[in-house]
Amino acid sequence: MPTWQHGNQRVLARAAIAAVGALIIATASQSANAWTLEEAAAPYKGTTIRTVGEALPPLEALAKMKHEFEERTGITVEVEMYEHSEAVNKVMLDLNSRRGRYDFIIQPHRELGRFVENGHLVALNQFMDDPKLRNPAFAPEDVLYDALWKEISWYGGKMYGYPFTALNMYMWYRTDLIADPKEQAGFKEKFGYDLAPPTNLDQYRDLAEWFTRPDERFYGTAIQGKRHEALWYEWLNFLYAYGADMMDVSSGSACGPIIVNSPAAIAATEYYKSLMAYSPPDTLNYFWDDVMALMQQGKVFELIMWNDATYAVAVDTDASTVVGKMGFAATPLGPTGKAVGQVEGWTYLVPAYSKNQEAAYLFIQWMMEYDQQLNQHLNGGASARPDVYATDEVIALPYSQASMDSNAAAIAKPTIPASPQITDILVREISAYLSDQKSVKDALDTAAAEMHELLGDCAPLRYPVQ
Amino acid sequence: MKQSWRIAAFAAVIAVLVIALLPYVWIILTSFKTRVDALSDTPIWLFTPTFKHYPTVFLDKGYLPLVWNSAIVAVSTTVLSLVIGAPAAYIFARHNFKAKEDLFFFFLTTRMAPPISIVVPLFLLFTEIGIIDKLIAVIIAHTSFNLSLVVWMMRGFFADIPREVDEAAQMDGLSRVGMFIRVLVPVAAPGLAASAILCFMLSWNEFLYAFILVAFEGRTLTVGIPGLITPHGTLWGQVAAVAVIATLPIIVFTTLVQRHLVRGLTFGAVKG
Amino acid sequence: MRGAFMDRYISVWFLTPALLFLLFILVGPFGFMVWTSFTDLSFALPDRDGNLVGFDNFRRLMRDTLFWDSFSLTMRFMFLAVFAELLLGFAIAQVLFHHVRQRRFVLTLLMVPMMLAPIAVGLIWKLLLQGDFGMVTYYLRKVGILGDQEVILSNSDLVLAAIIGIDIWQWTPFVVLVMLAGLMSLPREPYEAAVMDGARPLQIFRDITLPLLRPIIALVVLLRGIDAFKEFDKVFLLTGGGPGSATELLSIYTYRMNFRNWDLGYGAACAFMVYFVVLIMCSIFYKAVYWNEGRPTARTDRPT
Repeated sequence: MPTWQHGNQRVLARAAIAAVGALIIATASQSANAWTLEEAAAPYKGTTIRTVGEALPPLEALAKMKHEFEERTGITVEVEMYEHSEAVNKVMLDLNSRRGRYDFIIQPHRELGRFVENGHLVALNQFMDDPKLRNPAFAPEDVLYDALWKEISWYGGKMYGYPFTALNMYMWYRTDLIADPKEQAGFKEKFGYDLAPPTNLDQYRDLAEWFTRPDERFYGTAIQGKRHEALWYEWLNFLYAYGADMMDVSSGSACGPIIVNSPAAIAATEYYKSLMAYSPPDTLNYFWDDVMALMQQGKVFELIMWNDATYAVAVDTDASTVVGKMGFAATPLGPTGKAVGQVEGWTYLVPAYSKNQEAAYLFIQWMMEYDQQLNQHLNGGASARPDVYATDEVIALPYSQASMDSNAAAIAKPTIPASPQITDILVREISAYLSDQKSVKDALDTAAAEMHELLGDCAPLRYPVQ
Repeated sequence: MKQSWRIAAFAAVIAVLVIALLPYVWIILTSFKTRVDALSDTPIWLFTPTFKHYPTVFLDKGYLPLVWNSAIVAVSTTVLSLVIGAPAAYIFARHNFKAKEDLFFFFLTTRMAPPISIVVPLFLLFTEIGIIDKLIAVIIAHTSFNLSLVVWMMRGFFADIPREVDEAAQMDGLSRVGMFIRVLVPVAAPGLAASAILCFMLSWNEFLYAFILVAFEGRTLTVGIPGLITPHGTLWGQVAAVAVIATLPIIVFTTLVQRHLVRGLTFGAVKG
Repeated sequence: MRGAFMDRYISVWFLTPALLFLLFILVGPFGFMVWTSFTDLSFALPDRDGNLVGFDNFRRLMRDTLFWDSFSLTMRFMFLAVFAELLLGFAIAQVLFHHVRQRRFVLTLLMVPMMLAPIAVGLIWKLLLQGDFGMVTYYLRKVGILGDQEVILSNSDLVLAAIIGIDIWQWTPFVVLVMLAGLMSLPREPYEAAVMDGARPLQIFRDITLPLLRPIIALVVLLRGIDAFKEFDKVFLLTGGGPGSATELLSIYTYRMNFRNWDLGYGAACAFMVYFVVLIMCSIFYKAVYWNEGRPTARTDRPT
């Protein structure tokens, strides 16, 4: 071989070795450059992000958990806790003054429409699509209850956040009383069927009637009849069970025909009022707090109540006298025979005026990971991840099945900007009906008419009001 | 006849005091009851007390700084209202000018605007000038209603002081301003004390402005109370503990000043 | 003389700070509120950015039966509460004045209800009036005033009486405090003269005490009336305006407009109406007490 060919071979060999070497190094550093939280957060080290939410166990759990995030990233997280309506008011004022005090917020999902349509939020897609921020291991479409996520954190087809809590309502009842042979015998004699946890609304009422003993100060049930949104939430369970709804729409962000005064709705509301006969006399003064206290004190047999209040009744011995005596099941079926549940929840959101949007996103993303979600759930939270519910520790909780069943059957409620106003109108009218100030038809017709006036042409009255 | 009136009066006073104090006594008791005791069917008067509510709410939940915030705001607004309002009241009491009664009426009208509607524009105004979320915002907002209270109350007290006092002081060589500061203010001290008590109390107990205008860290005690109403149950023990601590300073303050107040109220006309 | 410069314009120096303060902190925001009442501003609904709509909000207000129901309810609340507080407070003040030596002590104790934060008052009475574990409900039932199953806060017939009662409990001490101060500051000469003339106690009361106390009574009625009309904190906490609308006071209604519906334009119109009514009430009282036959009769002024 001529010398220059030898030289070329050597060059080629060296080049080949260099190339392979480079390839090996490149592959190695590729995996070394895999996304980590610390790296992603590096540019934001030293910043402080602030949030606000409702002063409840899920947020308290977050406040305890944030330290790990702070240590790993050097980003400080400040958490403000307020009572429910205050948490909402504070955010409304902050957003409308465009101050940017909060870097992310945790709000009831029904406020979503108001925020979006007034331009207060940023869609999270920009962060999801940013490889520097996005944790590739996090695939929300796979790990969240999809329908829930879409209703709680999406609006108008865009994604604005993740569920902070997935709330629902289901039935609470006293297992010890059902197991009592004397009760079983007496009930069978009076009603003609076996005493068992009610599976439909007629049975629910029968059991309420059976267990109502005013002389012993024990009642079958208690409705949350105070003029407060608790009433609306409770009423919705029965409205849905009768196959009725407020508007004929398939998603919360849509506006559609008003059907809140349909015959089915009237029937549902009459059923709701009929439960008053088996409730304590002060039932029109109760909201969720009071009926929970009743159950804790062992004064009622059954209730339709919230999943995030269950811990305080079923597990907390400091507060409850009925620990170990509680059973849980999905809301009894109505005339339609279809299982129903509510979609409700608080959602993470990022204001448009936030000055630390990326850092906020990183925190939210971190909180949605399995470990954090499990931790939060076990400390009183209400996760929106099915894999959390499939964990042994969670399955062991007595109320998990009921919660999951409700989640599966959830029906969307309005999230349009006028949604809280609609709630107020309905609370006022139903409260008036419950306290005998007007008839059920009058109440629902008035509500329907007002809703129509509020929403305009996109919401015609399917059942016109005279 | 006199004796039976006395007994009847005594009985009436006892009855009134019982009605006035029982609810408060009940809340004090509640602050020492466990939740189960507090929510019992039959009112429980004898029970095993628990002392855990106080440390739980003030230390664990960090409510202690809220006491401090309430104090700062209440004292500051009281001082500010008195300093600005007392001189104004004096002018109304002693001087005559054309629009006097209309101006005085204006001071009254400033108490009439419902806080609920003023709070949103105030919020926006304070945000503009940059004092939002600081305690000074609440102090100013509270002074807005305390000021006219001071002016109204002190006008009467200053007017009660006979002119001879003014003249005597001026003959001693004091300027009018000096006379005001050195003679009239001390003489009107009981009235000032009464006004001060009311200002302090109104500020200490106020909710709406304190909630909207200040940040989380600057919350007053009153604003902290609804935070104890949760869907997990109103924490009656803790609410009661906060209520007790919230009222204690005012009771103490009033007792301290009351002596002065009552003695001052029996002040007769100066004669020679 | 020292301070002659300040003295000459003493009225200005003494009055201006107060006026300026109020101008900025109240008149400004109040002006904003009035402006807003002519706009369609809403924080909740999009495209309602504060465009002028003239008198639309006020026209809507006139048609709003809920507003007027609330208005008449608030008037009823105010009249009943203030009237009761005045009578009761005056009576107690008289008893303390004439028959009790340890006034100071009794007064301190008596003042406890009015010293509690209204929110705390709401919570305390919520605890006391609960149907199941409320202490007051229990004893009312025991004594027979309340039926065994009867309740108060859920009962649209009783609830208004209940909140009036709570208001009386809370604010009568205030009336006592001021009335007592008034009684104690009364000059002695007219009384001595009347006794010498052989006047009977009732006559003395009617012809001497009442007229002399008129400014104080007016002050108390005025202040209590305004505050009762604006009542919010404790009622909102206790009943939320319910059951139905049985305790929906005007300020609660306005709160809903502003902080639930965020309908700031309409809410401002409501608030303006509240303000306007209170303004009228004050004018009536003010004129009745402080002006007589076109000239001021304020007893206490002694102008230099």
